[in-house]
Amino acid sequence: MLYSTLDEAKAGGRKSLNEVEAKMVLQQAGVPVNPTILAGTRDEAVASARQMGFPVVLKLVSADVLHKTEAGGVALNLADDKQVGEAFDRIMRSARERYPQAVIDGVSVQKMIGRGMEVIVGMSKDSQFGPLLMFGLGGVLVELFRDVSFRIVPLTRRDARSMISEIKGYPMLKGFRGSDPVNEEAIIDVLLKLSDFIDRHPEIEEMDINPLFVDGEGAIAADARIILASV
Amino acid sequence: MALRSDPAKNLDALFHPSSIAVVGASGTPNTFGYLFMEYLLKAGYPGRLYPVNPRGGTIMGIQAYPRLQEIPDDVDYVISCVGAENVPDLLRQCPEKKVRVVHLFTARLSETGDEKARELEREIAALAERLGIPLIGPNCMGLYYPKERISYAYDLPLTPGPVGGIFQSGGASITYCRLADLRGVSFSKVVSYGNAVDINECDLLEYFVEDEETRIIAIYIEGVRDGRRFFSTLRRAAAVKPVLVLKGGKTGAGNRSTASHTASIAGSLNTWEVLFRQCNAVQAADMEELVDLTAAFCLLPEITGKRVGVAGGSGGKVVLSADECEQSGLEVVAMPDDVMAYIRDRAPQLVGWVSNPVDFSILAGTAVIPGELLESMAKSPGFDLLITNVTEENPYEDRTWAGLIEHETGEYITIARKGIKPIVATIINPELGYGQVDKWRWKTLLKQREILVNNGVPVFSSVRRAAAAVGKLVDYYRNKAYSEV
Repeated sequence: MLYSTLDEAKAGGRKSLNEVEAKMVLQQAGVPVNPTILAGTRDEAVASARQMGFPVVLKLVSADVLHKTEAGGVALNLADDKQVGEAFDRIMRSARERYPQAVIDGVSVQKMIGRGMEVIVGMSKDSQFGPLLMFGLGGVLVELFRDVSFRIVPLTRRDARSMISEIKGYPMLKGFRGSDPVNEEAIIDVLLKLSDFIDRHPEIEEMDINPLFVDGEGAIAADARIILASV
Repeated sequence: MALRSDPAKNLDALFHPSSIAVVGASGTPNTFGYLFMEYLLKAGYPGRLYPVNPRGGTIMGIQAYPRLQEIPDDVDYVISCVGAENVPDLLRQCPEKKVRVVHLFTARLSETGDEKARELEREIAALAERLGIPLIGPNCMGLYYPKERISYAYDLPLTPGPVGGIFQSGGASITYCRLADLRGVSFSKVVSYGNAVDINECDLLEYFVEDEETRIIAIYIEGVRDGRRFFSTLRRAAAVKPVLVLKGGKTGAGNRSTASHTASIAGSLNTWEVLFRQCNAVQAADMEELVDLTAAFCLLPEITGKRVGVAGGSGGKVVLSADECEQSGLEVVAMPDDVMAYIRDRAPQLVGWVSNPVDFSILAGTAVIPGELLESMAKSPGFDLLITNVTEENPYEDRTWAGLIEHETGEYITIARKGIKPIVATIINPELGYGQVDKWRWKTLLKQREILVNNGVPVFSSVRRAAAAVGKLVDYYRNKAYSEV
């Protein structure tokens, strides 16, 4: 069944989709995602890491924690069983200490993406004009620099292209001081697929893909979050 | 609303009335029931005009009827100046008279924020819909249509032109039309639509896009009823004709809690800016700029190149004008070779000194004649447009000063009329105090300004404003061409 993840979440009265669920929805929308498993225990985390192949990334999965990095909820570049196990314990302990009230789903496990630039693609709703897509340079500093552009959904190909070239950091994407240019067409493709998907799914209220990794080859979503409208 | 199926076609029928009734007409000067009659009479409206007033009699020498129903013929167009509470009664009389549209000048409805008034407005809208009567307004000035001699002010120009106006505010529309008139702009038709309970900004946009009398659309909006429809309508409209927009009122920034980075960043976003850019609508920051843009789009061709030649003025003014052009995205290119060849031929000593922008004061005493130099710039394939800058700072005594100014504007007109290249003129618009109006120097400048306007030259008060308007014009046509590919 198509878009079953969304339907299930709606049926369950859920407001927020975690990283693993959001990525399933994105995949169904045609956006390439980095395969991810949700692990509830240390053993599951280790088994998942072996399945994905080292090195891996572990991230806290909780609808109640927006800023995972600040919560000590991210562990990068884990090379073996031992590092994965320790990282799992550390993340869980830190989350429980800093957010004692938070409901914690577990820890996501995915292969480390070692290359490319981080950009953010997001969606929010304007009370008058409906869904907006946002594009910008990603990572943890996005809210500091706010080097982003917006377009109202639905986007034309031209909208998608211009919203990429409009940001101040665009030269970084074109290849800055010897780095390779990223595949802009792959970003355009992600924006257009999301525009189309969001246009058909008014129940989606907010979305972050942060980061979307882009390089000369293509684009891939490494983290995501989706908020549904409360009905 | 009977209109909804095809607003563009149906509105056109509404705008060509062969009879107009002013309901609430009055013989008392300075009441709107008097003024609307007077506007139509002064404009020379050629159709049948019926004043309606409970006391009957005659108003301005025309027989008045106590009620709309008592008019012996059908009535195409009704202007309502009655109080809001009397509108339902008026509407009920409309079907019998085969009224095609009612313009509600009547106000004190939802705009007051009063809940009873809101409720009455909803009743009026519902009643009109049930009766199949389209409404303009309430709380607006209605239709200004020079070709049909329909006007809503004493002094609006009656020469038809290419600009169509969509104005939420009647007062703003009158200010705009008066200012644009001073710049040589004239209008196809302008609609002041007020509270928009029926005919709204989207209906009007769709109409003006189809309207063959309208080449350029100017809009003043404070808010829209249906943001999604406005977005798609504006995008389609601007792909066909230039749409110049002035947005009044601050955006209502939402204070919603947000659970994502995107929503948190979008919280401070002015979505109107995004909308206008995405639609390729040309945004004006204020009324002055809306008028500037209208003059530019009305009087200039579709320029898509940015290489500007600037001529006239002297000293610091020349340097500043170059900066101002660059700030607006125009390219102040080096003087092209063919123009340099002309200069070398006439005055070799100027080579290396004369550049773009041209300082006319340094030509004095040489064989380079400003008019000829300007013409060679106009002919040069190295420029896409020229901005001329009247040298009002020339240092001579009164008579000589005026003679030079007149001569200079004459040269600009001569070259502009040859139509070799788009040319705009800039001449200072002094913000005169009452005591200065009759001063000889200012009068000379205002006269030259008017002569330029009357000769079809777009005139701006400064190079900064000229460059800003032309820069936006070039961007519009470039984006339009791009979207057609």
